[in-house]
Amino acid sequence: MNRPSDSSVPVPLPGERPPPSSHPMDHPRLPWPEPGRVVLSVEGLTRELGTVVKTPVLLGIDLAIRGREFVSLTGLSGSGKSTLLYLLGALDRPTSGRVIFEGADISELDDDERAELRASAFGFVFQFHFLLPEFSVLENVMIPMLRRGKRSRGDAEDKAAQVLHTIGLGPFLERRPSELSGGQQQRVSIARAVANDPKVIFADEPTGNLDSKNGVIVMETFERLVREDGITIVMVTHERSFALRASRQIVMSDGLIVEDLDQRNV
Amino acid sequence: MNRTVLFVALRQLWERKLLNGIAVLGVTLGVLTLIGINGIMQGFQQKFLINIIKVSPHVTIKDKQLRPRPSILARFDPGFVVTRVSHETPSDRQLRINRPYEIVRGVEAIEGVVGAAASLAGSAVLAVGAKQYPVDLRGIDPPRQDRVTPISQFVSQGSYRALSSSADAMIMGVGVAKELGVKLGDVVRCGAALGPTMSLKVVGIFDAALPPIDNRRIYVTTRTAQILLGKPDIIGQIEIRLRDPERASELREKLERSLGYDAESWQEANANFLALFKQQNMIIGFVVGAILAVGGFGILAIQIMIVMQKTRDIAILRSIGFHRRDILSAFLLQGAIIASIGAAIGSVGGHYLVTFLGTLKIKQEGLVRSETFMVYEDPVFYFYGVGFALFVGLLASLIPALRASRVEPVDVLRGQIG
Repeated sequence: MNRPSDSSVPVPLPGERPPPSSHPMDHPRLPWPEPGRVVLSVEGLTRELGTVVKTPVLLGIDLAIRGREFVSLTGLSGSGKSTLLYLLGALDRPTSGRVIFEGADISELDDDERAELRASAFGFVFQFHFLLPEFSVLENVMIPMLRRGKRSRGDAEDKAAQVLHTIGLGPFLERRPSELSGGQQQRVSIARAVANDPKVIFADEPTGNLDSKNGVIVMETFERLVREDGITIVMVTHERSFALRASRQIVMSDGLIVEDLDQRNV
Repeated sequence: MNRTVLFVALRQLWERKLLNGIAVLGVTLGVLTLIGINGIMQGFQQKFLINIIKVSPHVTIKDKQLRPRPSILARFDPGFVVTRVSHETPSDRQLRINRPYEIVRGVEAIEGVVGAAASLAGSAVLAVGAKQYPVDLRGIDPPRQDRVTPISQFVSQGSYRALSSSADAMIMGVGVAKELGVKLGDVVRCGAALGPTMSLKVVGIFDAALPPIDNRRIYVTTRTAQILLGKPDIIGQIEIRLRDPERASELREKLERSLGYDAESWQEANANFLALFKQQNMIIGFVVGAILAVGGFGILAIQIMIVMQKTRDIAILRSIGFHRRDILSAFLLQGAIIASIGAAIGSVGGHYLVTFLGTLKIKQEGLVRSETFMVYEDPVFYFYGVGFALFVGLLASLIPALRASRVEPVDVLRGQIG
């Protein structure tokens, strides 16, 4: 199988983990950890977009996501998967229905409370890396921790450096995002999402802008986060091969969940 | 303010050095202009006012009675006598201040009065050969008058004391001497409408650096003035000096009420100039305000441009937990920093500009005479400059800051904006 080569993928330095397998399906399947209790759920969730002409995007979703689950959301464009992700991640408000995080309805929170929740419990990875260009790699990862205010600057710096080392970006701490390859930039954004010890990471097409090799690196990173750190991940993706690597695969169509498959039950 | 917000705001500010530098330059020019123009305009005004306050009385009691006694006929019941007289001849009684020296003593006893002096003023003509020159004649009691208007400090040639030593002595302004071409010791003929012509010796020449006075005024003793003006034993005015010149209007009112004579404060005597200065200051205020407003628009335009460019970054910050007020604070802080830096550079530049202008040799002759550019530095200019710059900077940042704080991350993520 011919796959595009990516010269931007860093050559591993001594002590770094070896290069990942090059195809999503080449990866040996490891067992998923047992899911925990429900951390995030939605009940009768609807969302209409537009101000003059209302377009229904979600038509009443019921869903429960447990701890240590790696959930993929797939579906055609316009099926409502990204909208659902934004609602789950407290980035948007539903038209009706409830979003419950750890037993509390977060759909009624005001702007500041939602911002605080995002800072303290959630991490985000988007299709484009969305890093702040004026800050170094290390600073990009530190900023959410500093904003949350739970760590001193020194602690935040240590933690950010540790996370970046773990995902193979140790040599690039002082570089600006523009000096990194696309895959490296996306890994920085994962490090930013992880560094603040989130309970859930929301990823919107995290591999959409990457070649397959870097896509695999991102997926392996996510899998490791679920397996080793017990983080719950909700990922929207168009790529079926990556979706299949998740522990639970949800397929959406026209604003509804049409398929919900848990790998552990297969 | 959260320290992370400060960190983000400072870094973003630093990373746009060129754009923000232009905004700083706008504010700098505004503050520099404010300090520079005020330094120049106030330099002229202050020099004029300081000199006029120094050389002129603060309050002058005049010989015009505010409540003159009615004519004899008018004092009787009009039912019994004829009160309408055709071609009534005006009284030949000359205007005067009654019991002037008692008034002088009484005025000097008032709190805040430094000195009071009785004098007589009128118009006269000086003649040297065929040259004639109209002057403003002042008959004074030299020692007493010097406490009110310290002419002795401005005598550049001869002696002020010599004025008391002789009845035919005269001190003249430097402009009068120049017009007539006379020097110290020269004898000049002096005459007025109702008195005899006298020959007076120039015993002193004064230079108050105020052309309206230097070019017109001569001083003689009261007695000599009374002879020249044909007003024997008459005192026409009492001049008063105050510790605080700003209290002149207050004292004027009090004196008018108690003495019944018309009185004039130095502000009234120079009302035309003061009104002109007021208008000048208003125009300067408008010009400087406009320049600072342009600086503010510079900040506004640049900040709006940055907000539009940084919409995506704002969305990132919001998604990772920054509050709306954090974004608002960051942009307001950037505006305040731009304004502060601009104000600081403008203030330092303004100081050096004013200092430099003060060293320029420019001969000026008008209301005030000076050999150099007249400048004046007042901490108030700097206070206004910095205050106004900060106000404009914050105001100009408010719109972009509000706009930035209203960015919804989800709109950017959906690709609707940004």
